[in-house]
Amino acid sequence: MLGYTVRRLLQFVPILIGLVTVLFALLNILPGDPARMMAGPFANPDVVETIREEMGFDRPLWVQYLDNLWDLARGEFGRSYQSRRPILRDLLEVFPKTVQLALAAEVTSALIGIWLGIVAATRRNGWADRLIMTIAALNLSFPLFWLALMLQIVFAVFLRLLPPSGYGAGFDQFVILPAITLALPSLGLLARITRAALIEVLGEDYIRTARAKGLREVLVIRRHVLPNALIPIVTTIGTDFVRLLGGIPIIEVIFAWPGIGKYAYDALVFRDLPALQASVIVLAVSVSLVNLAVDLLYAFINPRIRYV
Amino acid sequence: MRLSIRESATFDWRRFVQARLPLVGVGVILVFVLLAACAPFIVSDPTEIEMRREQDGETIRPPFAPNSRNLFGTDQLGRDIFARVVYGLRTSLIVGLLVRGLSMAAGTMLGLISGYFPKTVDDIIMRITDIMLAFPVILLAMTVTAVLGPGLLTVCLALALVAWPDVARLVRGQVLAIREQTYVEAARSIGAGNWRILLRHVLPNCMGPIIVAFSMGIPGAIMYEAGLSFFGFGIQPPTPSLGSIISDGRGYITVAPWYPGFPGVVLTLLVLSVNLVGDGLIDVMNPRGAKGSGNGQSSA
Repeated sequence: MLGYTVRRLLQFVPILIGLVTVLFALLNILPGDPARMMAGPFANPDVVETIREEMGFDRPLWVQYLDNLWDLARGEFGRSYQSRRPILRDLLEVFPKTVQLALAAEVTSALIGIWLGIVAATRRNGWADRLIMTIAALNLSFPLFWLALMLQIVFAVFLRLLPPSGYGAGFDQFVILPAITLALPSLGLLARITRAALIEVLGEDYIRTARAKGLREVLVIRRHVLPNALIPIVTTIGTDFVRLLGGIPIIEVIFAWPGIGKYAYDALVFRDLPALQASVIVLAVSVSLVNLAVDLLYAFINPRIRYV
Repeated sequence: MRLSIRESATFDWRRFVQARLPLVGVGVILVFVLLAACAPFIVSDPTEIEMRREQDGETIRPPFAPNSRNLFGTDQLGRDIFARVVYGLRTSLIVGLLVRGLSMAAGTMLGLISGYFPKTVDDIIMRITDIMLAFPVILLAMTVTAVLGPGLLTVCLALALVAWPDVARLVRGQVLAIREQTYVEAARSIGAGNWRILLRHVLPNCMGPIIVAFSMGIPGAIMYEAGLSFFGFGIQPPTPSLGSIISDGRGYITVAPWYPGFPGVVLTLLVLSVNLVGDGLIDVMNPRGAKGSGNGQSSA
């Protein structure tokens, strides 16, 4: 298990180098002179030249590229062109906020999705089941940015229940709308998987035994059905979490949530190469760590799986 | 001489027709395609500006609420939103098909090569897909359009660039199974070349999953285009795009909720319908697989 984990982590090193290379190539074709951007629109040419020399923009591209890689290898993210602060400090500020939002969204989606799945499975072919499965079949495939906008209209503008956007202290009213927007598209899938897994387990002999010995239905579900149906559900939550992270930049920008997605977006708009690069790396690493965690968790709840 | 025997792609139309939801999807898509194709004959000029209008003896200013002349109302310049949406649908459909066509062509090609040829080639292609898949999709697409300059064609290129690795992975998986089949061995033993085997024997036998992947990828392409345009990284005016109409309407949410509302409803309906058709195709192509399978597979 440990060997497997280490190997998975090592596999990520070449991917990161590739990531940095692609980004470096893309951003150096980008129109716009970083030295001029930093100096501001009214700076005189001398100042621009000084900044160019100071930041090393006058060196050949391949030197800049290798230098960049070497810095990253030492864990040196550099300074943001925009805020002039060390990027690491910026990231330490914005990343926890993204984690907050992502966790809030995933917990919302998991709780509601699994609950819907349980309701559907235990009232199989009833009206509740049909309603839930029809909604699940529609897949709730809303464009995220539009869903966000509509929820803002309904809950912030008309009902005035929640703030339209912004960031409070963490898990307060500001997190509700973005978390729900992120969670909604995955409810259907989770409900569907939970229902299918539960129905399979409900047909097992040991469930009949549990019922035959007079166990209350609630306890049958909680003690015997749920634990045995857990594997597909947990896997789905894991893959769903990865999907959810993909939507983070869009949601953070629309809800003005000061997380890493918005940081990356601002960096792109400002042509802030080091900041964009650092945030893309952190996002990519987070996604792959979540993937790894899901695989390990998978082995944990299903002892028959062993990674070697 | 043709030796290819189709094993995987058995298409049962009756199953497709029996399921109602996919048919609803097909219906909605047909209506949208007709609207988009006949746009100039159906709707008024989407660029026509109307800054004042007489109503009940009073002069009112845009945005006008939905009425008999403007089904979806108008924007702040009095332009008919229904007309803009219909032209936006055109863009969405073109982008959906073009992006998926490009990414499927590239992904299938690389997947075939990766699955069939020796390990070094396979390794190189797979490591490239690893790198591409590690990117946050929306940020990579934004960066590419920022580099190439926004516009219909560059948006399509950017979205195809982020979409091909999934296809390559899928096709590669199929090829790995198919190349061990006896008919491939038979073709090789009678002297067929690598490319002939790939195109005549392997490719036709992966068509089932390829068709499903084609339809399942269209909604994503349409949504990402709308998203890019919403953030100003996508299609630029005067080319209409549902995403940019919604973006323009953002500022009028309180006074004219129909302005960002209707384009979003149409966009959602389109995406939903293509999804339903894709789900239907999965059921038809893979009669044994239960609904919802194929989701939640671990990548271990």
